[in-house]
Amino acid sequence: MTAPTDTSPDGRSDPEQRGKFEYVADGSRPTSFLESLRLLVTHGEVIRSFARRSLQVRYKQSVLGVAWAVVQPLATLAIFVVFFGHVAGISGGGVPYAAFAISALGPWQFVNSAISFGSLAVVNEGSLLRKVYFPREAPVLGAVASNLVDLSIMVVLLLILEPILGGQLGLSLVTLPLLVVCLIIPTLGLCLILAGLAVFYRDVKYVVPFTVQFLMFASPVAYPITNVPQKWQPLYAAVNPFVGPITAFRNVFALGTFPEWTLLGISAATGSLLLLGGHTLFKHLEPEMADVV
Amino acid sequence: MWALKLEEVTKRFRMGGVQRDSLGRVISGAPRRIVKRLSGQRSDPRPQTGKLALDRISLEVEEGDSYALIGSNGAGKSTALRIISRISPPTSGKVRVRGRVGALIEVSAGVHPELTGRENIWLYGSIIGMPRAEIRQRFDDIVEFSGLSESLDTQVKFYSSGMQLRLGFSIASHIEPDVFVVDEALAVGDVTFQSRCVERMTKLSREGTTLLFVSHHLSTVEALCTRGALLADGHVLAQGDLKPVLSQYVEMIEENQLSGIGQGENVGPLPILGATCHGANGEEQAQFKSGDPIEIRLRFEGDKPLERPYVSVGISDGRPGMLVQCSMLEDGMVPERVGTHWECRLLIAELPLLPRLYRVWAEVFASDAVGTLTEWLEVAAFRVVGEVATGPRAVVHSMAAGALAVPYSWDIHT
Repeated sequence: MTAPTDTSPDGRSDPEQRGKFEYVADGSRPTSFLESLRLLVTHGEVIRSFARRSLQVRYKQSVLGVAWAVVQPLATLAIFVVFFGHVAGISGGGVPYAAFAISALGPWQFVNSAISFGSLAVVNEGSLLRKVYFPREAPVLGAVASNLVDLSIMVVLLLILEPILGGQLGLSLVTLPLLVVCLIIPTLGLCLILAGLAVFYRDVKYVVPFTVQFLMFASPVAYPITNVPQKWQPLYAAVNPFVGPITAFRNVFALGTFPEWTLLGISAATGSLLLLGGHTLFKHLEPEMADVV
Repeated sequence: MWALKLEEVTKRFRMGGVQRDSLGRVISGAPRRIVKRLSGQRSDPRPQTGKLALDRISLEVEEGDSYALIGSNGAGKSTALRIISRISPPTSGKVRVRGRVGALIEVSAGVHPELTGRENIWLYGSIIGMPRAEIRQRFDDIVEFSGLSESLDTQVKFYSSGMQLRLGFSIASHIEPDVFVVDEALAVGDVTFQSRCVERMTKLSREGTTLLFVSHHLSTVEALCTRGALLADGHVLAQGDLKPVLSQYVEMIEENQLSGIGQGENVGPLPILGATCHGANGEEQAQFKSGDPIEIRLRFEGDKPLERPYVSVGISDGRPGMLVQCSMLEDGMVPERVGTHWECRLLIAELPLLPRLYRVWAEVFASDAVGTLTEWLEVAAFRVVGEVATGPRAVVHSMAAGALAVPYSWDIHT
């Protein structure tokens, strides 16, 4: 375990020494959370590079390009409308099922894509990992960040589609930034756990698609949260930190109401624990990553 | 002022990949670690298993030094470079590096195959912590040095290994590193580019960049570096001024080669029992000075007495071809008859050879030179030791093609 730190120079006024950082790795001291945060700040440009990379890699050789960010959820929406809306007859909780479903499919598309790419981000940078230093969580952050682009496109799409499909939009839209944060936190936590493990266990690659699909059915994406009895809802939101933000997106974009703060708060708390735990695990695995990847 | 410092650095690699139980250990050990952390104790040292690549090594490199790490394969040189360039942290011990590290490890300095040359320049610059403005400022220099302006928008995976090296070296050497780390990589480039690399490294070194260089090409090491350390099996055997360190290394590899010679398969009807080199006083010895006499003794054991066995002895310096060949086939000094046990002594009055390792080859032809009794075989080795030359900038290890030592002097008229 190590503690790489960047500390400012020894305070000498010699202009030659300006901007000289000192790298210290102590084999017997683990990296603290604050140290790794500071590392991320000093390496901000790297994260941006990885995000740009992630976008390029995803859309470079495809004909539709970024349009996939719209096509994918729309295709899923069609399936949902036919099978869940018509065949299974799930209610839209007061709005047409299509308007109901897309309001959750939008944010879910972000979770889905961020986890799919984020969990393999470190492994995919294997050749880089072996040859050059950067904070190892940078590719994960980059992958998640690049999916924010897709999410923004999705939000625009929601703003256009919801009125057409019969959804309600209102003042509660101002809570959007908060919802996005609440959505990112558990996503990032899960990505860090999977990305860290994927370096050591390639099994993760096969587990991810299954996990994401399981999570979707474990979250109120196809069905309304009201299908869960009222008294169990807090527990539901605590066990699955995606419940809060997904339900909140639905409230804001389909029903035009404000989020249910209790559920959102509970999910945000669990999500933060997941993020902290994921980060700790990642940091624990980090020292050996370059040796085994 | 030091530029980098290793204090008691140990690196242990797990053997055979990931241990199955490692994940279980991480999870089951977590509560104990948390308690320890909270009570202010340090966590457990790493498990004491696996391959020890570096064993408590300590090094200090001064700012502006050109420092070489030398040693045989597996000595730990590359591991040390990877630790210094922060890629792989030490298992225990402390690494301290002041300033920006530019590292060229394994041909491509973090060049990413899926990206174009242009994108790689930006990516690597940002990884190394350069602001965008600074990258933009150096972009043209990097492209110009690499000579890849035409392939700039091609994905790097379509580059040849030489092109990848050119791109990697150009980026790594133009980010104005405070410490420039170059691993065994230059060998991939062509001679022109290699010499430009050496030129570039010399220039950086003159401008005050600390240079850390690993290469098996000893003459490049000697040309570039002034200080160095000799690693073997993860230990530092010697460090300091390059020349004594390099001499020790040359001695070490020659000793290794010496011990491997004469173990070859001795086939044919007349096996060589032993081959030894002796000095003027008849004592067996392995080291000679240039100009010394040498006596080579070959002992044979046959199953019957022989008539006219023609013995040939050659001396080589490891390159193809013999430097000297003494053959009874040519000088006609063949004995009429030998018994079942016999010894052949060849006395060479003077060895006009430069310091390096020499190998002795021998063969025996049957009477009237038809058929081989002993195959042409490397049977012994000896070293010529001493200074290559006495000039103020003389090299430690002679790599010149010619092995003959002739008295000479230069006279410059201007």
